[in-house]
Amino acid sequence: MEFQEAARVRTLPPYLFARIERLIKEKRAAGMDVISLGIGDPDRPTPDHIVAAMEKAVHKPEYHRYPSSEGRREFRLAASAWMRERFGVEPDPDTEVVALIGSKEGIAHLPWCYLDPGDTALVPDPAYPVYAGGTLLTGGVPYYLPLTSENGFLPDLAAVPPDVAGRARLLFLNYPNNPTGAVAGREFFESAVAFAREYGILICHDAAYSEIGYDGYRAPSILEVPGAADVAVEIHSLSKTFNMTGWRIGWAAGNQGAVGALSRLKSNIDSGAFGAVQEAAIAALTGPREAVAESNRIYQARRDLLVDGLNGLGLKVNPPLAAIYLWAGVPRGQTSASFAELVLERAGVVVTPGTGYGPQGEGWFRISLTTPTDRIREALERLAAMGPVA
Amino acid sequence: MEAMRLAGRALNISPSATLAIDARAKALAAAGVKVVNFGAGEPDFDTPEHIKAAAVESLRRGETKYTPVAGVERLRRAIADKLLKDNGLAYDPKQIVVSCGAKHSLYNAVQVLCQEGDEVILPVPYWVSYLEQIKLAGAVPVPVATGAFKLTPGLLARACSSRTRLVIINSPGNPTGVVYSREELAALAGIIVERGLVAISDEIYEKMVYDGREHVSLASLGPEILARTVTVNGLSKAYAMTGWRIGYAAAPPAVARACADLQSHSTSNPTSIAQAAALAALEGTQEPVTRMVAAFAARRDLMVERVRAVPGLACQVPGGAFYLFVSVESFFGRSLGGRVISCAADVAGILLEEARVAVVPGEAFGDPRYVRLSYAASVDLIEEGMERMAAFLARAE
Repeated sequence: MEFQEAARVRTLPPYLFARIERLIKEKRAAGMDVISLGIGDPDRPTPDHIVAAMEKAVHKPEYHRYPSSEGRREFRLAASAWMRERFGVEPDPDTEVVALIGSKEGIAHLPWCYLDPGDTALVPDPAYPVYAGGTLLTGGVPYYLPLTSENGFLPDLAAVPPDVAGRARLLFLNYPNNPTGAVAGREFFESAVAFAREYGILICHDAAYSEIGYDGYRAPSILEVPGAADVAVEIHSLSKTFNMTGWRIGWAAGNQGAVGALSRLKSNIDSGAFGAVQEAAIAALTGPREAVAESNRIYQARRDLLVDGLNGLGLKVNPPLAAIYLWAGVPRGQTSASFAELVLERAGVVVTPGTGYGPQGEGWFRISLTTPTDRIREALERLAAMGPVA
Repeated sequence: MEAMRLAGRALNISPSATLAIDARAKALAAAGVKVVNFGAGEPDFDTPEHIKAAAVESLRRGETKYTPVAGVERLRRAIADKLLKDNGLAYDPKQIVVSCGAKHSLYNAVQVLCQEGDEVILPVPYWVSYLEQIKLAGAVPVPVATGAFKLTPGLLARACSSRTRLVIINSPGNPTGVVYSREELAALAGIIVERGLVAISDEIYEKMVYDGREHVSLASLGPEILARTVTVNGLSKAYAMTGWRIGYAAAPPAVARACADLQSHSTSNPTSIAQAAALAALEGTQEPVTRMVAAFAARRDLMVERVRAVPGLACQVPGGAFYLFVSVESFFGRSLGGRVISCAADVAGILLEEARVAVVPGEAFGDPRYVRLSYAASVDLIEEGMERMAAFLARAE
């Protein structure tokens, strides 16, 4: 057939979770009771008051019309007020906040605003695949920054060769981190902002997991660093915080130029987010916080259950302070892929191979905390029943 | 910060001009100015009750999680059924990709089909975002001037070069309301197949056809053209669901897969709840659609009559969509509200500021001799807006 895909799409690896979804489907079709510890989709329902707001909102005729691409002003105000309360920063709702159809949409489209073909973006490895994917789609070139356990899964920005830093246009950061569960302190963000300022690089900080913390941990915003908005835009999502992955809503805040460029680009791609979903999001951002605290308690209990269970099996895992993932080393003699395949075949358990997040993920696998606790228990039992795998 | 220079590609992108006028009209309205808005590209009806109810039910079932990237299976099947029943198109549900509105479906399709330097044939006037989407893909738009707003086999053949990759056909068309006949499309399909091109057929206005006309899907005209066409459609216009953001593409398997892969890297699934609403729209009663289309037909007749009664304005009677593409060329060189008029943007600007009527200048569609008037407005608003326009334009010197 004549339909040769464009080169930019051919360079794109199949999105990791899409491949895992297919694999699970095959096994289930073959009659296997598969327990997925793979994708990070919260298992708990969207809180009632948010659902109630949506039920009302879908009946409002104004939401049956086109939304504006930058998002409703009420939504942008709510996002800004939420950031003030949470981080003490207050982006201007009119010029420094834009609504997104989920954080992925902002991350994927920002490279279109700043990368011409051949331009460099600094991308952590391992990382959420969309940083490299968005870069490759624009014809940009990712320069990978290794995240290793030795450096606490923070990129060593001082190690970036000056000529690379000089030509880089974007730097992707993501703390609390997917897939490693690492966190970044204020000092790291300060050094990143200084680095970006020195080289004229725009930082895209993905803060999708900012509200999920354990043992009292509260993640900072990069925008807390004085002057950060000169060089940084932060991407927020309601998906994980409020169990709203299906709704597709988030926002970008910070650097005015980046927010403006994203709005302009978006008006040619998607026409903005459903107004009723924006109203539900306002209910989430301004409403009671108990549901978030409750989610955190449940995730923390699962974290402890899994860390104990996996350590008991001889797999060494450090308990993360935030996000919804455990990042663990595979047994000796296994690769990420062989181990993931082994536990799927022998235990019917899905773990995500670390290599799905970049070459530095080799030797690691990721487990998500978003599976119901009884299923996690059962998964641990099945893994134990496999016997030694090393 | 100067160092944050935008990519060349992004600098080239204009904000969607139709949305810009709409935003200015809404801003005036918000400031208490009564603007008659003929600028909007969306039905003025509300989403039918049973569709809203389905959204609420889906919420109560807790359908608030990620869905498959290309949409839930049942919705894709309902779309495949619709395409077979309404359009004579046989697509497997795997060939359907549901996106955040037809605009997003078009974006995905252009991205996966075009690469740097490919030429895309775009009949003028064209819907504004086609042009920007082609440029974003690094491809080269080749606007082709048309006679009665329609691409002909002769025009298409003459516009082809060795770099030509894609043709975009939009019937019923925005901004002109033209509807291509079966024979016209068959002739274009012949050239597309003969030259080895691919086509995007944007059929978002398919339900809005008048005077007993039939809507014909390009891809239904034979297996060769089916294998070379991406059919784009959505729920927005037919079911008054522009706000819900659900559109879809139906394409050969490899293209559908590529669109889904691209989408998995950019937006994930469209809103789960809106997908449930879309399913109800497709599976439920089609009576609201029939009623809405009948209303549009009557409003079209009214607006055509009023436009033709204004000295200096001229328009065709459109066969579909809900727009009149009105020539304002006779005002060029004359003076209106103390300003010499030289293009449609001047006319649109002064109409909004002085007569408080919003229309979209033809510049947005590649033809500065026209303005677009939407009759997705109540009869009263059409009467009032046309009166204001007539009174204001009568002052031309």
